[in-house]
Parts: sequence; C-alpha cells; structure tokens
Amino acid sequence: MLACLIPAVAGAVARFPKPDFTSGYQYPEIVHGVPFETLWSWVDVVLLVVMMGVVVWAVYYNPNLASNPNFNPNPNGWLSKEKRSRVAVVAVSVVSVLYFGFFRSGCVCSVGAIQNVVLALTDSSYHLPWVVLLVFLLPLVAALFFGRVFCGGVCPFGALQDLVNVRNLRISRAVSGALSVIPWIYLAFAILYAATRSQFIICRFDPFIGIFRLGGDVGMIVFGAVLLLLSVFVGRPFCQFLCPYGALLGLFSRVARRKVEVTPHPCINCTLCHDVCPMDAIRPPEANKNPEHRQRGMKRVLLYMVMLPLFMVAGALLLASQSQTLSIAHKDVRLYTLLQHADEPLAEVEAFHEMGRSEEELKVKVEEVQRQYWIWSLVAGGLIGCVVGIKLLSLTLKRTRKTYEVDASACVACAKCFNYCPQNKKIN
Amino acid sequence: MNKKIYRNVAIVTAAFAIALAVMLGVSWWQSRRATPLQTEVMTTLKELNESNPDNEKLGEQIRELDLLSRRAYFTQERHLTAGVWILCGMLVVLAVCLRMYYKDSMHLPDRELNPVDEWMSKTLSRKYLGWGAGIAASVALVAVLAMSPSVRGWVKSLVTWGDGQMSEDGGLLAADDGGGASDTLLADVKADTLRVDSTLLAKDEAVQDSFPIPKITSNAFRGNNSSGKSSARGIPTSWNLKNGTNVAWQKTVPKHGYSSPVVNGRNIFLTGADQQARELYCYDLYTGELRWTVKADRIPGSPPTMPKVNADTGLAASTVATNGKVVCAIFATGDVMGVDMDGKRLWAKNLGVPDNHYGYASSLLMYGNELIVQYDNNGGAKLMALSVTTGDVLWSKSRKDKIAWSSPIVAQAAGQQAIVVMGNPAITAYSPSNGQELWRVECMSGEVGASPCANGNIIYGASEYATVVAIDGKDGTVLWEASDCMPECSSPVATKDLLYVATSYGAVCAYSTEDGSVVKQHELTTPFYSSPVVVDGKVYLFSNSGKCYIFSAGKDFNLINSFDTGEHTFATPAFTDGMMVVRTDKSLYVVKKS
Repeated sequence: MLACLIPAVAGAVARFPKPDFTSGYQYPEIVHGVPFETLWSWVDVVLLVVMMGVVVWAVYYNPNLASNPNFNPNPNGWLSKEKRSRVAVVAVSVVSVLYFGFFRSGCVCSVGAIQNVVLALTDSSYHLPWVVLLVFLLPLVAALFFGRVFCGGVCPFGALQDLVNVRNLRISRAVSGALSVIPWIYLAFAILYAATRSQFIICRFDPFIGIFRLGGDVGMIVFGAVLLLLSVFVGRPFCQFLCPYGALLGLFSRVARRKVEVTPHPCINCTLCHDVCPMDAIRPPEANKNPEHRQRGMKRVLLYMVMLPLFMVAGALLLASQSQTLSIAHKDVRLYTLLQHADEPLAEVEAFHEMGRSEEELKVKVEEVQRQYWIWSLVAGGLIGCVVGIKLLSLTLKRTRKTYEVDASACVACAKCFNYCPQNKKIN
Repeated sequence: MNKKIYRNVAIVTAAFAIALAVMLGVSWWQSRRATPLQTEVMTTLKELNESNPDNEKLGEQIRELDLLSRRAYFTQERHLTAGVWILCGMLVVLAVCLRMYYKDSMHLPDRELNPVDEWMSKTLSRKYLGWGAGIAASVALVAVLAMSPSVRGWVKSLVTWGDGQMSEDGGLLAADDGGGASDTLLADVKADTLRVDSTLLAKDEAVQDSFPIPKITSNAFRGNNSSGKSSARGIPTSWNLKNGTNVAWQKTVPKHGYSSPVVNGRNIFLTGADQQARELYCYDLYTGELRWTVKADRIPGSPPTMPKVNADTGLAASTVATNGKVVCAIFATGDVMGVDMDGKRLWAKNLGVPDNHYGYASSLLMYGNELIVQYDNNGGAKLMALSVTTGDVLWSKSRKDKIAWSSPIVAQAAGQQAIVVMGNPAITAYSPSNGQELWRVECMSGEVGASPCANGNIIYGASEYATVVAIDGKDGTVLWEASDCMPECSSPVATKDLLYVATSYGAVCAYSTEDGSVVKQHELTTPFYSSPVVVDGKVYLFSNSGKCYIFSAGKDFNLINSFDTGEHTFATPAFTDGMMVVRTDKSLYVVKKS
C-alpha cells in the first residue's frame, strides 16, 4: 500500500502553474531567519534523557527492596512503594505532548531520525547532526537496559495516543500477530527511500505532525484524527501496527538487562493486567491444548528455517523487480517522467527548460538513481523477506507459561497494569 | 445522572463528528481533483487572447478570473482546514465524555478473544501471514510480467492485430478485376491497401447509415505505407471546380500548409499553421464539414517563437499519419501529437526544435503501434519510433546522414518488412522492431527532398543533382542507376514494369524497372512538387500551377487527360472508394462522380 501511495503522491501535479501574464506584483524578498536551534536541540536531548529517567524510576522503582520484608521506607518518600504507579508516566506523557509535540512541533523525533542515520551511513556528503544521532541512539541504548521506556511517555506520538485512550477493544491475536510485520515493512521502505535520497517517508506520512503543528496537509491531519479517534478505543494503534522505530526498540528490548514486571510478587493469574494492557503485551498462561507429535513440530520448524533464506531471496528479487516503479518517488526520475509524458505545461517542466538543463544530463542522473534503487530494493526486499520468515518461525515455536508474563518486545512501559494488579495493591 | 449527560453528549458529538468527517472527506476529495485554472471559460478566454493579443480588456478579464479562481480555491482550503480543527475539537469532546462515562469502569476486563489457546492463534497468524505474503508476491509477479517487454509486445500485437497494419492476410482487400491495370499492378496496389478498422466501420455505419463507409484508406503521405499506390476505383478523370462537375464539395482550409490529406473511413486529416497556431483538422469525407480542430499548443519544450522557415515549406509541410484510431501530426516546431478520432488530444511532445533552414518537412508514417519519424536536421539526423498511443520513444537511432526533407516508407528489405529512409548520402533500411540498420547504400547527394518508393523487393530512390537508383531490397545491392530525369520534391512511384518520376523542371518520365532506361518522357513545361499516384490503372499528377495530368499506368504511358483546376496544388492527393481528396494552397475538395 505504501509502495503504491508514494508514487501516487509523487506523481501529483501542480494545479497552479505560474500565471501566463505579468501582473506587476513585486514578490517580497525572501528572508531566511537566523537559526536558533542549537540551544533548543540540546534542551531536547537533556529533556529526553531526564524524561526517560523519570519513566525508568516510575517503572523500576526497586523490586529487590520491595521484596525485602525489612525494607520500610518513608511512605511519602521518593523510594516509597506508592511511587510505583502510573502517575509519573502520565505526567511525562503530558510534558512530552506539550514540549516535544506542540512546542517543538514534533521534530526532531527519534522515529524520523532513522532516515537521517540511514542517509548518513549511505551518503558521506550528508552531515548528520549530533543531536539527531543522540535522539536516535539514546532510546535504543535505554531499551538495552530498561526496555521501551521511550515509548512509555517520552515519545509524543505514543503519549498522545495514550492520553486519549479510554477502552481497550482488542482484535484477534491471530490478526495482530500477522499485522506485526507491518512496522518492519514500513522500516524497509523508509530505508529504501532514505538511502536513495528520495524522500523521508516517515516524516512525510507522519500522522500526528499536522496536529502538533496546527496545520499541514489536510489528508494527513484527517489520518491523524482518525488514528486518534481509534486510539480512544484501541490502545496505541500507531505504536502497535505502524511505528518502525517501535519495531527496532522491541528488538533491543528483547535483550534488555531489566524487563518490566507487573509486580515483584507472585502472580495470582487474575487476568487484570492482561486485560488492561493497551499493547496486548502481557501473555497469558499457555497450556498446550492441541498436543502435536514432536516430530511434526520439529519438521515445521526445520522447514521454516530452510525457507528463511528463500524468503529473503524472493523478497529481494520481487522488490528489485519493482525498483523502477518505486523510483518515481525520486525528484529526478519524476521530472524525467514528466518531461517524457507531460501533455500540459507543468511548472516543473517549464522550470527545467528555463534553467537550460539538458535531458541527456538528466537521463544519466536518472539511470544512476535507478541503479541505486535496484541495489537498495534488494536490501529492503531481503529485510522484508527476513522479517516474514522470522515471524513465521516465531509463530511455530511453542512456549509454556504458568503465569502471566510481560512480552518485553511489546511492552511500552506505560505502567497501566501496575494499578490493576491486586498484588501491588496488597503491597500498597 | 451525570453519566447519562456524558453518554448523550458523546452520542451527539459522535453523530456530528461522523457527519462532519464525511462532508470534509468529500470536500477534500473534490479539492484534490479541482483544476480551477483549467476551466472551459478560462481556456476559451486564453484562446481569444492569443488571437487578439492587443485586447487589453480581455487580458484584464483573464487576470480577474485567474485571481478569483485562485482566491476561491484557497478559501475552500481554509474552510477545509477550519473544518478539520472543528472535527478535532469534537473528537476531544468525545474522548473526554467517553472517559468520564467509563470513569468507574475503565479498563475492566474485556471479553477474551483467544482465552488460552495461544497455539491456535499462532496457527491462524501463520496462515494469515502466509496468505498475505503470497498475495503480495503474486501481485509483484504479475506486475513484473505485465511490465516485461515480451508480454507487452504480445499484448500490443493482440491490440493492433485488428488494425491490419502490415498483416499478410487481414490487411488485404478481396481480389477484384483490374479494370485497365495489369494484373501485376493490381496485385501491387492491393497489397498496399489496408482495411479500415472494422470496429470503426461498425460504429460509423450505425451512426451514418446513409453513406457507405469507404473501405479504401490512405493513411499516410502518398497512401498506405507511403507507397504512392491505391486500390481505389471509379475516380473521375475530369472535374471542374468552377461549375462543380464531379466535385462533391470544396472548403477553405483555415490555416495554410503544404501537408497532404490522409483519409481513413469518413475522416480526412490534414494540418495547417501560421505564426499564431499549429492545427490539425478533421473533415467529413462526404459533407466537407470540419468535424474538429486540435491545436498543437501548450506543449512542453515548444518554442515560444516560430522557427524561421522558407515560404515554400511553411510550418505545416509534414503530412499526418493515422491507423483509424489515432492520428498523429508533426510541425516545423518539432511539436508532435497524437489525437483520437473524436479530436481528443492523447499526447503531445516536442522532439526538439529542428535546425532546418527551409523548415522541417518529413512526413509521418505508422507501423503497427510505432510512429516513425525521420528527423534529419542540421546538427544530427535520427530515425525515431514513438508509441502511437502514448508518444513514448520506443527506439531512436542516430543516422550518419545530413539534413534532408524526405519521408520514410515501409518496404520489403532483408527478407522482412522494413522502414526505408532516403537521406544525404544514403538510402537505408531499418528493422521496425528495434531500429537496427539492415543495409545502407550511399548513392545520394545534395538536398534530398523526394522520398523513396518500392515495388516488391526492389526499392527506388531519386533526387535532383544526384541519381535515380534501383536497389535490391534483399541485400542492398545497386541494380542500376540513371540520371535522365530526376525529381526535386516530387517522389517517384513504381509498378512492376515502370518507375514514374515528375521533376520540378516539367519533365515526367517513365523508367524501365529492368535496366533504368527511359521508356517514355513527357515535356510538360510546368514544375511538379506533388507526387504521382498510381490508381485504377492510371497515374494522377498535379502540377504546381494546379493542372491535373492523368496518364495510363502502362508501358505506353499515354496522357489520358489534362486540365487546369484553377488552384495551385503542391500536396499529393489521397484516394478512397470512388473519391479523390485534393488539397490546394487555399482549399480542400473532394472529386467524385456527380
């Protein structure tokens, strides 16, 4: 869908060509404001670290101390058990929406920074600002230690969805399991378009940026509004089914040093935490109801392991076969196509001719761009094939759980489950 | 009580939000599709302004309309944005009301969809994912196949099969008796005649049952394949423009041009141009009604001022080509366009302004879905094949030749149907599928204005101050050369036995195709730019002064009739069933038995 959408948007024509006559109107001289970004950028980084720290503190207060019967802190102190609640996370969410969202207009964000990093890795002429690198890396580093604390309330997108959420209407886990590959596909296309210097599609199709900036493309504002409306009834739809950075954070969280626990005390299987989790990240006890012969299960696992490289090759070849179509997202390819096919006097074509550029020179550029597209389509297609293969493999593995367990890759550390756990209330 | 209020407010807000969202969606969709500056009124005003550039009031009116259109569009955009914010506000109210309504029961356990059986969920997930990946892969595969050249070519061949272009069986007319022409000549003529598209016939017959649709077409300069031959019958050998004898109708052509008419079905196509506009005209064969005019304007890359051209060439010297579905025209500006039978412009592009001191004059030719363009100008010569339906360049070949004004033909060469092009200094055969050069014979010189012709496997070329040459199409071997009678602009035409040549100094010769000897020569003391056409056992030829000469197309090559039409004629006539379409320097008329 994304692949279709981008060329369609890219192919949109300007409906307001330059006037055919001169009106005598004097265009004002363009004045570029002096950037005052440096200070605010560092404030962004500091606040990012501080806010992630608050979420870490709110989520991981110190289970060792809590489980220690001799531990009896001041009930109103910072280390008290009462602090293990969602209040701090909500406060961070509000600050994040106000500061990172409305005040900083949602930019720079860690989600979009993926593209800057990819571009910097593939194009030595692109200078990657340190702030952008830090905004990209810090949540990942935090995820290695504490899981997705960035998603908990620091990310303005997640925070906005979390604040409007009222109900948790769930879709079938079978469907959501299959849909979980979408963020990875989005990530693959984001890499493809960034590496080829075509577009930053994550920024272009950011559903919330129009809301934070109080303006923008009507289509994207409507998309954002629909997502927000959906967020009222479904927990964090963007985070669950779209966010490419969330996919990366989930990967890092799998190996996190410390993982979120609903309670430091024994689980009593009351299901409350499971039902309240907006990300459906708490896995219920699993008893194998469909006993299957072990040999058959092993065969399936082996089959998917063998199929994994085949999926990668197939994905790479299939996407590479579409590389020319995808390349229309690049401005030079688009311009060249317009030059070849435009029946109407488009502003772009007029500007091209007025600049005295030659079609031959443009054609050479287009051929180079299409070569790059072919290479990066192989990479992106391989990634998609790999993700689908691994997902199929993971869906083939059986795990036995006796109590409710938190899936570290899906948990966004929103702390909603804490208040619902009777064991925590008992502690309190 | 409070809960009821929240619930009711939520319901009302939701209802309003849905209604507003639908309205905004429709409005947004409309605004996305809107082209406020391309209204009919605006286009008409701009056309008027082009023809009356000094009319300041008109210019002012266009400015005001332009401003109003822009203002209206952006006002609508602002309203749309405001609507979106109202919608967002409603959603906030809805969220708050819902939150308050569910305050006491927030996040209570929902119904568990997959109570415990996670394995079943995983199995279903695998199934969904497998299907999704399979469908995506299938779509990609279909797209790959659809874009592959071989499949596209196969589809194109299916689409163009009905056109009869170059098909061996579908393209031939039923055999008929010669009626004065030799059997061989008749066979040649029939082989070069194409059917009118059957769907077009059916469509037009349903609409116009009072007139039969002619089955004989003349789809390019000098007829189909630019052969100079037609299988039309019953063409009058005399007519009178003054009293209307054997003249169906005569109409003044809006703009001047030396291009020849072409005929397909009931449509006559020709071009005209001046400093203000380049136009393609479609006339009704039976009534002379101007069915439509399409301007070659607003084409990216088209020069703002017309290139300097000689008055003897003009801006519309190139003849159009058609296949009964699309008609393509080219002008001295390098603007080329494709137009359907209803006058809808399908595509248009500029091939680069020709650097041509007399003016670009080569005519177009169609081969299947290829529009063949001979683009021999100063600074580079090339042969191009554009897609008839889209204008895309299918292939383009640089030529080692100099500037020329000749036009391509389709002929048998190297054992296949080939595009044969005459230039300076060579006659060259190209494969129509990819533009590969099949053979090249360097035999010409000077300014080559005439076009080659062919009969069977033998290809003939002739140009003033150069030579008359016969070439074996199989391998490009020169069979003979002669220099008795050489044309300047008029192109020769060949039958099995004779090669007919009309010169600009008044001599009209018939060469023997055996050895190049002159069989018969007429000294007519009037220049010929128009080309002779062999039809119904006769050779029809117009002099520049407008005198029509009709010869017998046999070895005797006798002058059957000659008379003055009264109007200067430079174009070559087009023939169809019982009718001849003639363009003079001012008008267009159809000759038909009264």
